[in-house]
Amino acid sequence: MDVLSVSNRIASTQLSEQLKDALWFTPTSQSIHIIALSVVFACALLISLRLAGVGRAAQPLHIAIRKKTRFMYVGLVALLITGALQTIAEPERQFGSPAFWIKMVLIVFGLLLTWWVERSVRREPQRWEDTAHRPAWSRPYALAYVATWIAIIFCGRFIGYT
Amino acid sequence: MDLALLAEQIAELPLSTAIRTGMSWRWLFPTIESLHVVAIGTVFGSIFLLDLRLLGIGARDAKASKYSAQMLPLTWTAFALSIVTGVLLFIANAPSYVFNLQFRLKLLLILLAGVNMAVFQWGVYRRVSEWDERLPPPNAARIAAFVSITCWTGTVFLGRWIGFVR
Repeated sequence: MDVLSVSNRIASTQLSEQLKDALWFTPTSQSIHIIALSVVFACALLISLRLAGVGRAAQPLHIAIRKKTRFMYVGLVALLITGALQTIAEPERQFGSPAFWIKMVLIVFGLLLTWWVERSVRREPQRWEDTAHRPAWSRPYALAYVATWIAIIFCGRFIGYT
Repeated sequence: MDLALLAEQIAELPLSTAIRTGMSWRWLFPTIESLHVVAIGTVFGSIFLLDLRLLGIGARDAKASKYSAQMLPLTWTAFALSIVTGVLLFIANAPSYVFNLQFRLKLLLILLAGVNMAVFQWGVYRRVSEWDERLPPPNAARIAAFVSITCWTGTVFLGRWIGFVR
């Protein structure tokens, strides 16, 4: 069973045909996808800025991260649903693009990074609250974290071009 | 002023042509598009979180003024990037956008969002010290937040629909 045959099987399903025929589907699904990714990305960016000690803080770090990661997980579910439907509608477009597969790997990586920072801060909230006592890796981590989500957005756009 | 002629002249500028045809780098257009998504994503996401606070739904433990001070610099920076990338995307294909209804409505909604923000900033927000920790926030703040989310959600939808409706 290879990618091409899986793609063809999906494309021949009734759901795929219906989604392809519904002209409103693609722009609506993509709009919801963008709204969800906006919430996810803004949260990721805000977490990165807090970890790097940039900008103003309105809440303790462990509370801010816990709330933002919750938003991220809800947003990621919405992204999964809209992404899955878009893939069912045009499987060859997604599966045939290297950018799609890179994006999937990066999403898993992004999730791991999210889980890691949430766990680290939850275990030692007081230590993380004071920027002077944070681990040395918190700043490079913040940079890698936001870069991952930016790369995911780029890959998403490049699916149609590769 | 002939808008169609002006749009064509804009599209024929060297920069516009370079973006549209990708003369020196064929991934220039999708790169600008990606940056546009990063920028509008930050605008929408940060405004969405702030609006949830102003509605009294999100970040209820944070002072409204502090939350606003945290979000708005990010929003404005991202908005500036959105404008820059948006203009670059526009000039590359100006004739196809300038008469597009979805595009025009999108600009109108962005303008409306701006007016809403100004009314909020110079209105109820000036008295924020009175309701900074009060829940729910005053009705004027909640209305402004609702209008804001509506405008920006509409902007995203219209932005996507531009290319799908002739």
